[in-house]
Amino acid sequence: MDRILSYDSGLSKFKPLKHILCYDDFDKGLCGWLNLMPNYTQEGFKPNFVQRGATEEDKEKMLDKTQWGPIMLSSATYRFPGTHGSMDGIYSLKLATRPTANRYEQPPAAGSISHAIKRLTSHRKPGLLQFEVWFTYTPEQDRPGLSEKDIRAFGICFDLQDAKSRNFVGIRYVNSVNGEMKREWQYMQSSDVTDEEWTYGTKGNWHKKGVDPFWYGRRYPDGRTDGFKFIPNSYQELCYNESDDKINWMYLRFLYDTEKKEYVEMQSRDQIFDLRGIRATDAPPYLGIEGLVNPVMWIETDCDRRVFLYIDSLVISTE
Amino acid sequence: MRQFMTSTVEQRKDFKESFSTHPMEVAWASEAIFFITIEEVKCKGARLKPKVQISVDGVNWIDEGTVFEPLAERGQYFKRITHFGGWLRLYIEMEGDDPLFNLTIHLVMKE
Repeated sequence: MDRILSYDSGLSKFKPLKHILCYDDFDKGLCGWLNLMPNYTQEGFKPNFVQRGATEEDKEKMLDKTQWGPIMLSSATYRFPGTHGSMDGIYSLKLATRPTANRYEQPPAAGSISHAIKRLTSHRKPGLLQFEVWFTYTPEQDRPGLSEKDIRAFGICFDLQDAKSRNFVGIRYVNSVNGEMKREWQYMQSSDVTDEEWTYGTKGNWHKKGVDPFWYGRRYPDGRTDGFKFIPNSYQELCYNESDDKINWMYLRFLYDTEKKEYVEMQSRDQIFDLRGIRATDAPPYLGIEGLVNPVMWIETDCDRRVFLYIDSLVISTE
Repeated sequence: MRQFMTSTVEQRKDFKESFSTHPMEVAWASEAIFFITIEEVKCKGARLKPKVQISVDGVNWIDEGTVFEPLAERGQYFKRITHFGGWLRLYIEMEGDDPLFNLTIHLVMKE
């Protein structure tokens, strides 16, 4: 039987692998993306990231993961230009932090990050897996000036699990650190630290080293963390434009090999960075999530104002 | 099918002074409901006075006209809203001595 597939013309701005798992254009709705939250499975529906052995002091030191900034469908509307809209219409997915941040080298403040997650599982043999987005970013225009430096970092990744390991693999753009522009790309890979060091010195924390590197892993003043390493020669100026209410849509692509558990490459605008040979960090498998393929996107603010990551559309594809 | 989204705009958080909720873009929706859950009352005699606000740009806000009756007890409360333009939030004024409430606030949107 011959099959003829007719694709939406919006796909022509992507370069997907052979099998398209998702083509999410947010003019069509939320497409299954939602806020990332802890598991509310304890007595009184309390979150479960506290384990036996945790003292009251440990509990107080634990990162508050219940306050991240909620996502929404955005028309990208501002005070002066009015509605910016999206690439193919009006709506994009907007990740919006709350107006709060700690200094870079401290654990992230409650609400200083906004995440979006979509929950999928694998259905093909291991091989290439790709995440492409058309995105843009800006802070809330609540004060005059050009405020590019108030955006700390944003990124895209996969949270994967097979029978052997759980793997967080992805990339992030470190835009600024404590108000100083960095403009460099990083990949997810954990340093040789203990689970306790990974979770900011807390005992009885549910998390293992390598899991949730967007908020875990000690951070260093040069922009590194125990969960991210700089891609060599990856300084890149993105198109921020000349005012906080002018946004330009940009292309980002991340390619990973689930069979070799190795990075392949990333592309930002027209620049391709070779990532071959970089191994994923193995964490022990968690119960009940074998076959997990969760794409995740996030943005973090660098100061006391909301910052926004807008996604016009995205494609997840496999070979 | 109609578009639909429920957002937990504030989640089991302690509030001790007047505040506004996370600004939400709602241009795609034509009707909405704000649900307020008072999870815990940790004070005596204080009250919440919530009101709905709208905005052109998500930065500058004005009262929409919908207000909740003053709230002081544990429980769930709601208000329906229509014809609100592009943005919605609640402004919640605290009244009384040493207010401390644990709140969850949902915004339910439908087109």
